[in-house]
Amino acid sequence: MLWRVAPPRSWARGIRNAAHPPFRSPSWDGALSFGLEAVDLVRSFGGLRAVDGVSFQLEPGELLTVFGPNGAGKTTLLRMLGGVMKPNSGQVRVAGEPADVASRDWRHRVGIVSHQSLLYGQLTTTENLLFYGRLFGLRHLKTRIPERLESVGLSDRAHQPARELSRGLKQRLALARALLHDPEVVLLDEPYTGLDPHASAVLREQLASLKDGHRTVVIVTHNIKQGLELSDLVAIQVQGRFSSVTDAASLDLAGFERLYHATVEDPA
Amino acid sequence: MSEKQIRLAIGVLGALGVAIVIVLHWMVFFWVPTEATMGIVQRIFYIHVPAWWIAFLGFGIVALCSAAYLWLGDERLDRAAVAGAEAGMIFTTIGLLTGPLWGRVAWGTWWEWEPRLTLALILWFIYLGYFIVRRTAVNPEQGKRFAAVVGVIGVLDIPLIHVSVTWLRSLHPEAVILNPDGLAMDLDASMGATISVGLLAFSLVFASLFLARYTVAGYEHELNLRDAAPGGIQRAEA
Amino acid sequence: MRTYIGLVWAIARKDLLVEFRTLERLIAMGAFVVLIGILFNFSIDTTVVRPQDIAAGLIWMTIIFGGMLGMGRTFSLEEQDGALTGILQSPIPLDALYLGKVLGNFVLLSVMVALVFLVFGMFFGLTFAGSLVSLVGVVASGVLGFVALTTLFSAMATRSSMGEGLLPVLIFPLLVPVIVYGTTATNRLFAGRPFAEVDGNLRMLAAFAIGSTVVCAWLFRFVIEE
Repeated sequence: MLWRVAPPRSWARGIRNAAHPPFRSPSWDGALSFGLEAVDLVRSFGGLRAVDGVSFQLEPGELLTVFGPNGAGKTTLLRMLGGVMKPNSGQVRVAGEPADVASRDWRHRVGIVSHQSLLYGQLTTTENLLFYGRLFGLRHLKTRIPERLESVGLSDRAHQPARELSRGLKQRLALARALLHDPEVVLLDEPYTGLDPHASAVLREQLASLKDGHRTVVIVTHNIKQGLELSDLVAIQVQGRFSSVTDAASLDLAGFERLYHATVEDPA
Repeated sequence: MSEKQIRLAIGVLGALGVAIVIVLHWMVFFWVPTEATMGIVQRIFYIHVPAWWIAFLGFGIVALCSAAYLWLGDERLDRAAVAGAEAGMIFTTIGLLTGPLWGRVAWGTWWEWEPRLTLALILWFIYLGYFIVRRTAVNPEQGKRFAAVVGVIGVLDIPLIHVSVTWLRSLHPEAVILNPDGLAMDLDASMGATISVGLLAFSLVFASLFLARYTVAGYEHELNLRDAAPGGIQRAEA
Repeated sequence: MRTYIGLVWAIARKDLLVEFRTLERLIAMGAFVVLIGILFNFSIDTTVVRPQDIAAGLIWMTIIFGGMLGMGRTFSLEEQDGALTGILQSPIPLDALYLGKVLGNFVLLSVMVALVFLVFGMFFGLTFAGSLVSLVGVVASGVLGFVALTTLFSAMATRSSMGEGLLPVLIFPLLVPVIVYGTTATNRLFAGRPFAEVDGNLRMLAAFAIGSTVVCAWLFRFVIEE
């Protein structure tokens, strides 16, 4: 049903090898603008191609999970999607608009969560959000920030320095930070790292509400079990390429794990 | 040009350059007459002055190619900049070494805070900074941009440095300073010829070095790409 | 325009807030300034030279060494928890980010410079109350030029394996004009000369400051982009 992941150049082991070119859902009417599109993204470091021709299209409300071993270029992909890093070639489109690194306006539509907190430990919870709120040019921060803190359950920590928060609470604040400006596209890099089961459950809840709110979500992770929850589309990235893209609905955990290990061990 | 032609060009330019450098030394030591006021030590000018012209040519190439590289992002411009910087630094070093040799005899001191000399020393250090940022950047792609930024800022700052040092100098006039510019005006024809030969020789050597370094930078780039071909990422991880 | 200034101020304000909470850079710079003042005092043989005669040079060297101590860490704060990623993802123009950093550093350094003049004034028995306004103009322009360059290069240093050790190699050659015009002007003002005698220096320092701020603001994107 949600098949619009364009076959990458390196399409080798895809489950639907035959179905070239871009997969489209039956409901696709050709005029709809996608929440997030990547068109043949390439990025190399020195001679190393960290991301090597990745393409996909996501509709609002869809969640793509990208799995891959360390060094597969997942973080690089996410940083390009967020406009933090410039692709060597290819393009990102947010709501149909080209997301140029040099232009700034589309950035209001994107939020990013990393395995790092992206926070200032010396500043309090509220001060951190105030700072980022100002960068995004948001109004009514005095009411908006308490609302956000409430939604992630940090209201009682509003004036605590961020470095005093536990890993789980810090991650909640990081999420509040990323969602402060109501982005349409949310990018998450290994969000489950270091979270205990309770904190993971809170994060899952947040992600579910993002989907309900028709946000486009991309998660990159190497944790298969947690990553599969909630996803609509699943990609495996190896050596900078998507070597497999699957509809998550048709997957069972054991089968996917087998596919993942087979793909990682023999990417060709 | 094919690879073979480029190698040939590097060899021919280099050989010709070295041959003329040998001729230049013969001219300097045996052919050109001794300058009347400064005596025998003035002969070092025939090596010193052309070396500086080439050093500044190198820096001009670095500055222009750096700015263009930042603007256009073309790898070849970066290669040209680094080739210009490496060849330029060699001649800056020659200039810096021959200057004090002359100064020791003419001024009586190894070092004099004369504006031209000061500028030369600072230019050498800007070149040094150019190479250091290139080599030490965590991400080599960034290193190229860092170096280009240093090149651009360097060339913009150089006139200000020169103006400020000249101004400072004017506060403390020295009794005897022999200005190379004043000297150039009453050059004997044979002296002019020797300088021209020096300039030709160094230009050829510079061109050869520049071309060689530029080509090597291209090879380095190709080699990197080959390393990163399928399997390269896994190797890097291991 | 108003929003642009707001963004610059947001960056500077955040930097200053973090600094005044931890005081890390201010303590490092402050201790350096006082202690080097003491050492300089012992390094001068007063039977040979009068301390007042060389105070201006010592003050400027102290500003530069002490300033580098603090400025070198401009971006290490951003890298700690990856906050730079958050800033780069946000819509703030990169030149506004740079100018905000410059503004924050300028305020910090001004605090240090005030301490330098206080300490050296006491230690070396300097009198500059009469020419305070001119002195502030000269020092402020010189410091702005210094901060503009150092802020840019500290972003490079953070991403270099040499770290802050990179700064002197890159910055000292470029600072010759600041030292030349700053030191002579300060010397003359200490000697009680009229403003007309430092007018030219002030202009050159201001030109250097504005020029380097503009050029570095433009070049900053090439240093910070990944």
